[in-house]
Amino acid sequence: MQRKCLFFLSLALCIYSNVFAQDGQGIVEGSFDYIRGRTSISLVDMTVHRPDWERVFSIRGWTEGQDKSLIRIIAPAKDNGNATLKIGREMWIYNPKVNRVIKIPPSMMSQSWMGSDFSNNDLAKSDSLLKDYSHSIVGEEMHEGKKIYLIKSVPIPHAPVIWGMQRLKIREDHIFLEQEFYDEDLKPVKKLSGLQIQMMGGKLFPKVWKMQKSDAKEEYTLLEYREILFDEELPERLFSLSSLKSLKR
Amino acid sequence: MRSVPVDFKIAWRNVWRNPRRSILTVCAIAFACTLLVFMLSWQFGSYQTMINAAVKINTGHLQVQAEGYNEKRSIRLVVPEPSLVAALLDRIPRVAGYTFRGNAFSLISSKERTYGGLVVGIDPSREAKVSTLVRIIRQGDYLSPDDTDQALIGAILAENLRVGIGDEVVLLGQGRDGSVAATVVHVKGIFSSGMDELDRSSIRIPLRYFQSTYAMGEAVHEVVVLGQSLTHVENIKREVEAGLGNLRKTDHLVVLDWMELLPGLVQSIQMDLVSGFIFYLILIVVVAFSILNTFLMVVFERTREFGVLLAVGTSPGRLTKLLLLESSTIAFLGMIIGVIAGSLVTLYFQTHGILISGATEILRQFGLPERMFPRLSALSIMIGTGIVLFITLLTALYPALKVRRLHPVKAMTSG
Repeated sequence: MQRKCLFFLSLALCIYSNVFAQDGQGIVEGSFDYIRGRTSISLVDMTVHRPDWERVFSIRGWTEGQDKSLIRIIAPAKDNGNATLKIGREMWIYNPKVNRVIKIPPSMMSQSWMGSDFSNNDLAKSDSLLKDYSHSIVGEEMHEGKKIYLIKSVPIPHAPVIWGMQRLKIREDHIFLEQEFYDEDLKPVKKLSGLQIQMMGGKLFPKVWKMQKSDAKEEYTLLEYREILFDEELPERLFSLSSLKSLKR
Repeated sequence: MRSVPVDFKIAWRNVWRNPRRSILTVCAIAFACTLLVFMLSWQFGSYQTMINAAVKINTGHLQVQAEGYNEKRSIRLVVPEPSLVAALLDRIPRVAGYTFRGNAFSLISSKERTYGGLVVGIDPSREAKVSTLVRIIRQGDYLSPDDTDQALIGAILAENLRVGIGDEVVLLGQGRDGSVAATVVHVKGIFSSGMDELDRSSIRIPLRYFQSTYAMGEAVHEVVVLGQSLTHVENIKREVEAGLGNLRKTDHLVVLDWMELLPGLVQSIQMDLVSGFIFYLILIVVVAFSILNTFLMVVFERTREFGVLLAVGTSPGRLTKLLLLESSTIAFLGMIIGVIAGSLVTLYFQTHGILISGATEILRQFGLPERMFPRLSALSIMIGTGIVLFITLLTALYPALKVRRLHPVKAMTSG
């Protein structure tokens, strides 16, 4: 009897936690925390692909929490040392050739970052999805035995957003599969997908991220993680203008 | 055959039977014609000024670009071998000058501030023959052919960045090969074109320096062509297009004329034409009613006389002809006086110009000079007067045909 009771209790708890997890906001937040970790250090190859040319950069990246990141180009040699610092919603870029730190003005935030399909805003406002949108689960899918939540994210009224709507696909184990961006007329603009999910830095992680323009098949940017480490202790003054300039790692 | 001069004589005398009324009508027609000749010449003249001013500030009459560059503005879409296009342009007569430009959207940064803007690489000596840039330098100097890290900067941008002559400006953008393009240039001159967009967002550096900074090689984005006058643009365009088609390496290039390069200018001209024509229409309707009034009065006043004429055997057709002759005499008199007066007024202002002190913001956007010149042409004379004449004669038709329905006896007893 007691055993049966315990069984029902745990079942109820199970159902309860499932209901809890099915809240869209919770799923998105969980996924964000999972992907970024408390901190992360990564080595990424970025491929900018266009119909008539292609360019590959190697990038070192450091992130802390949801709103601090530092990105430095290490290859090709011509661009070595170019770096971007993001704190909150502000961005600075550093160029070693002119040895200057430039704060990106608001009017330039919609421009492409390093000629890729990511805009400055995609980086600076990456937490916008959490803060400025409300999320609702619009469906579920099964994929390789795992449940995928289909989430529709619409802007909270009066929030300073860039996108009119976003659609997300998040696997039940927090893995971010897809983020599709729609403009204010709700037409798709571009899509970010997570591919080749495998163990990296001690957890399952999409090794390849692809940002693809919706109207041009041959225009996309690939981010391929070569290494990623989570929850390392980072030097305290890493996310500062002085380290943006002096970064030698 | 002999009756024609007689009819003329009768018509002429009838015109002067009531000189005051006839003169007033002639004056109304003359006034309308004068006004129309002047206003149309003014409009056409100002369009030409607008187009020439806008074209010479930046775009040129024609540009050769890679296909799609005008819409996408991608640094990848280039004219790879501008020397081939240059050789082609050298062979075409009526080309007043041409120059090459490279454009790159970049961050433009001073010590204190940063703005996004267009970095334009120019060939200093060629540019001077095509655009007014050399003449609108307000501070400092124009670029010389062997300058490297020197720049000309728009006045509003200079003010926003808080830089003056000799100060450093950092340019940071993306090169043609996708690499980071960065350089420091020194302000050599500050220009003010009057076109806010240009003055707010553009900085010009020597083309060679631009090409090395932005990894362009020999390539450019625009070949800017200026024809000897606006009327030659169409021919030059056709010849350049034909020439480009023959060169194998240039088949992805397109030729755009000023109408394609400055769609805003074309639109504002169209808007101005439409509002002008609405005004003219009102003017013509008012004049038409005053003429109709005169001609109707003639018929009412002289019903008795027409009755007598009909009774003694004048055919209604001849009566109509007489009346039409009478009204056309008035119309032509007015028209001739109007054209002469209008042309004289126009010619006066064509040489002296008209000072517009409070030029509107829209006009300023196209870099218009303060003094505008009307331009007398066959078209500006003919359109207005033609319409007035047509409407006048149409109006005169009604009373002239009304006469035909008169009954001699009834007409004689009336009035």
